[in-house]
Amino acid sequence: MARPGLPVRLLRRLEGPQTMGRGPLFWLGFLAVVALAALYPLTADGYTVGNTIYFFNWCFMALGLCLIWGYGGALSFGQTAFFGLAGYGYGIVTLNLGAAHGLTLLAVVCAVAAASAFAAVLGYFLFFGRIGGVFLGIVTLSVTLVFERFMAQTAGPEWHVGVARLNGFNGMSGMPPLTIPWPGGDIALFPDVPLYYVVLALLVVVYLGLRILVNSRFGNVLVAIRENPLRATMLGYDVRRYQLGGFVIGAALAGLSGVLYTAWGQYITPSSMGITAAALPIVWVAVGGRADLTATLLGTLSVLAGFQLLTVYGSQYALVVMGLLLVLTVLLAPEGLIAGLARLPGRLARRGRQNGNGNGNGNGNANGSPNANPNGGGA
Amino acid sequence: MLEDQSGDFALATIGKVHGIQLATDEINAAGGIAGRKLELVIYDTQSDNTRYQEFMRRVLQRDKVDAVFAGFSSASREAYRPIVDQLNGLAFYNNQYEGGVCDAHMIVTGAVPEQQFSTLIPWMMEKFGKKVYTIAADYNFGQISAEWVRNIVKENGGTMVGEEFIPLGVSQFSSTIQNIQKAKPDVLVTLLVGTAQASYYEQAAAANLHVPMGSSVNVGQGYEHKRFKPPSLANMYVTTNWIEEVDDPKSKAFIAKWHAKFPNEPYINQEAENSYLAVYLYKEMVERAGGSTKRDDLRAVIAKGDVCFDAPEGKVCIDPKSQHMSHTIYLAKVGEDHSISFPKVWENIKPYWLGDAGCDLTKSNPNAQYTPSNPPPKS
Amino acid sequence: MFDAVFGFLYQFGDAFAFLVLCATGLAVIFGMMWVINLAHGEFIMCGAYVTVTAARAGLPLALAILCGAVVAGLVGILVERLVIRHLYGRPLDTIVATWGISLIAAQGTLIVLGPGLPGISTPLGSISAGGLSYSVYRLVLMATALAILAALYLVFNRTRFGILARATIQVPHMAEALGVDTRLIYSLTFGLGAALAGATGGLYAPTMTMVPTMGAQFIMEAFVTVVVGGADVFLGTAPAGAVLGLVKAAMTSWQGQLFGQIGLLIAVIVVIRVLPRGISGFLLRERS
Repeated sequence: MARPGLPVRLLRRLEGPQTMGRGPLFWLGFLAVVALAALYPLTADGYTVGNTIYFFNWCFMALGLCLIWGYGGALSFGQTAFFGLAGYGYGIVTLNLGAAHGLTLLAVVCAVAAASAFAAVLGYFLFFGRIGGVFLGIVTLSVTLVFERFMAQTAGPEWHVGVARLNGFNGMSGMPPLTIPWPGGDIALFPDVPLYYVVLALLVVVYLGLRILVNSRFGNVLVAIRENPLRATMLGYDVRRYQLGGFVIGAALAGLSGVLYTAWGQYITPSSMGITAAALPIVWVAVGGRADLTATLLGTLSVLAGFQLLTVYGSQYALVVMGLLLVLTVLLAPEGLIAGLARLPGRLARRGRQNGNGNGNGNGNANGSPNANPNGGGA
Repeated sequence: MLEDQSGDFALATIGKVHGIQLATDEINAAGGIAGRKLELVIYDTQSDNTRYQEFMRRVLQRDKVDAVFAGFSSASREAYRPIVDQLNGLAFYNNQYEGGVCDAHMIVTGAVPEQQFSTLIPWMMEKFGKKVYTIAADYNFGQISAEWVRNIVKENGGTMVGEEFIPLGVSQFSSTIQNIQKAKPDVLVTLLVGTAQASYYEQAAAANLHVPMGSSVNVGQGYEHKRFKPPSLANMYVTTNWIEEVDDPKSKAFIAKWHAKFPNEPYINQEAENSYLAVYLYKEMVERAGGSTKRDDLRAVIAKGDVCFDAPEGKVCIDPKSQHMSHTIYLAKVGEDHSISFPKVWENIKPYWLGDAGCDLTKSNPNAQYTPSNPPPKS
Repeated sequence: MFDAVFGFLYQFGDAFAFLVLCATGLAVIFGMMWVINLAHGEFIMCGAYVTVTAARAGLPLALAILCGAVVAGLVGILVERLVIRHLYGRPLDTIVATWGISLIAAQGTLIVLGPGLPGISTPLGSISAGGLSYSVYRLVLMATALAILAALYLVFNRTRFGILARATIQVPHMAEALGVDTRLIYSLTFGLGAALAGATGGLYAPTMTMVPTMGAQFIMEAFVTVVVGGADVFLGTAPAGAVLGLVKAAMTSWQGQLFGQIGLLIAVIVVIRVLPRGISGFLLRERS
């Protein structure tokens, strides 16, 4: 058989059992969506473009969480810790070094690296301490709450890094937006059309990159660990390393979100690491469908847009309606709305097989099977 | 208008929404501004900084409003300020705050520390003694206000016998109460913020701590004297630029109008009055600019230094250097039964500090927030 | 000397009581059912609101607190029946669901009852020791925290419900096979956790500001205590309350509230590093 051409080989790496959507039809649709997204700013007003960038900003964190929770089966409730760390990192570097000579791009790299490094250390403690299941969630949540409390009390003049005041609860502001060095004057990327294309391109690259990742050997092992960590260990995989890897990548993506958000609004505050902020990514991912990247992406965008519309038109009732929607989604569409819709046609046929392992923990009973239950028993 | 109608701050801010609605209705009933009716666009920001960022873009870019009345907490103001600056909008911040914002895009109608403390502290030291203890919320407002208290106490020959910063969200005060008792101050300045910290008063009363208290935030903002059971707030002195109990014909008429429109209003606080007068100030400015709503035209009017309005509290004027307001300052005393009396009234107290320190918006616009320990660069 | 010791013990007891009361409800639901109950704060708020309303209607405070606990417990059972029950086997989804419930509860209360409720005053007055005065009610809170721990111990070790509950938690299918109505057990356990939260709300209601979002003021302490304690109420929550209470009281009296808070946070980080499964995880491992 002839060796397939490069495009086909590339395409194959993008498809696999771990992602929804395959074949020429899907990819044609994908191209159409990307093309539409690229043409979109030509027809929309400034507000819509800026607002769409804002939505895109959050998608990276959602995709990162999808990787570690949906694929890896380890719920991190503290993605916002990395988000905030990177956001503050960007602020500190740019306020100290300025925006000239593409230094903002260096700041992005530094901030994301800092978030990843922190995640590596924290993840090492967690995964090599064999923390898993729900306990992982509660520990990571505490970490982000600790960060929030700490940053909230840095209002005094003694809290500064170089010239950058941490500025406590009011948050750090005044950092420059992303700037691309360009002959004949740097381009400052305010939330407008140029930034839109930069973020859109990043999003497409990250999305495709993650597709390759989850369909690779690494991704398959990650899913195997989610389904049954004990079996994965028996097969000779070091569960801890794979989970740590996923955790660090997820944290880096959360950090990327944090940097983009900070540059977008030229502002970062401790409340972006608070409990409300920490719960939001989980909501996006759970509503969209955590076990699939595409579902997560679409779900995140629709939840963000939907909640914003609710706030615009629903006045006081918006939060109540949001709460109700969340509860109903979890009850009626356990795989997530988008994933549920996408799988509706083939669902009946697969029903028997899917039973019981549709969830991230892969356990059918109320308190997790012994290997997912960190304490291995009650009092 | 962007205000918090739900979430943490709703208690103090629903009145601000009503104040703006009342003023708008009155102005429209009298023919509008320069023959044009005012149109309100209202979003609920849910006590969430990110909502301020989203909706500030929306009102400026999509709804293309001429002026924005926005924000309760300092964090929310700092969140939207970069966006107002970038999109060249005009925002009214109708709130008492820690002072120091030197930004041509902002007009602040609330009172600032020099207005509240340069009156309150010397009066209290004269009456009760020169040993002062401060407990303050550990964020920008508390830190900067405490700095003011410290400076004013020193200028007046007093001593600080203690100072403690309380992290936001702390609701348990046993140890703080003990520390205060040990220091035996003559005057206790309480700069506690938020519903959690408000629990201090009940706990101090329960522990039999009865030092005369001075404050710039309580009563006037969160009407604690109405909400708490007497006598937990007894013996507290507050400087405010207006509250519902002010007993003169003009205030009575204002309250009557208010209750005719909003019969269920629990309390009309100082920020509600600040919001009300802000709309009238805007009217004055636009009319004098010949009906123009352009920011530069309005600022040319402000620069003349005589934009004033006869508010319920008395005459208020905009200071052209800092775009803050002069105020009548009432000293409110809370009695044993939580009734309010006014031992002293200061008229026409100017927001002098920013202008003296070197902020002059008629000459340059630094878009920054300054503090006594971080003053504007001397030009 | 006596005054200083008494003062410190009082601070320690106060911190201990707050941490333990905050956390028991959360710990029961988390430890027994592996449900992270993000609506924990709203159950506390519910208990506090009911307590204040009942007390203002003329009920003695102790009875009013009981009312608060019972109502919160019933609401808990209702929530379990309507929502949580359908999510067993998906512990992580309960986070989303309880988050939704907490949004509905806090904002719903704001819409229905307005942004605040008038409070009730703290009973029992104060005593003085060495020139300082102390609220007596706080001593009652300390005693109550100990009493609740003792009562929980008795419930889980001496009653039929407790034994069945522990059986259900350890090997659910086995318990079911032996004729235990595990659904009822889960329902009651969740109700118990909610009732404990309600009691906490009721106990602290006289000392706090009544607003719909008041539950949030307990959340961080609750989670920190559960993280440090681990999943077991007796071997975890109680010693965690003691350790953290000690850290907090010492740091606070040394350098003020801020350091008290920072001390708590550092303790958490140290515990995560040294005892990743909390104190109870460590004790249980030692024992086995």
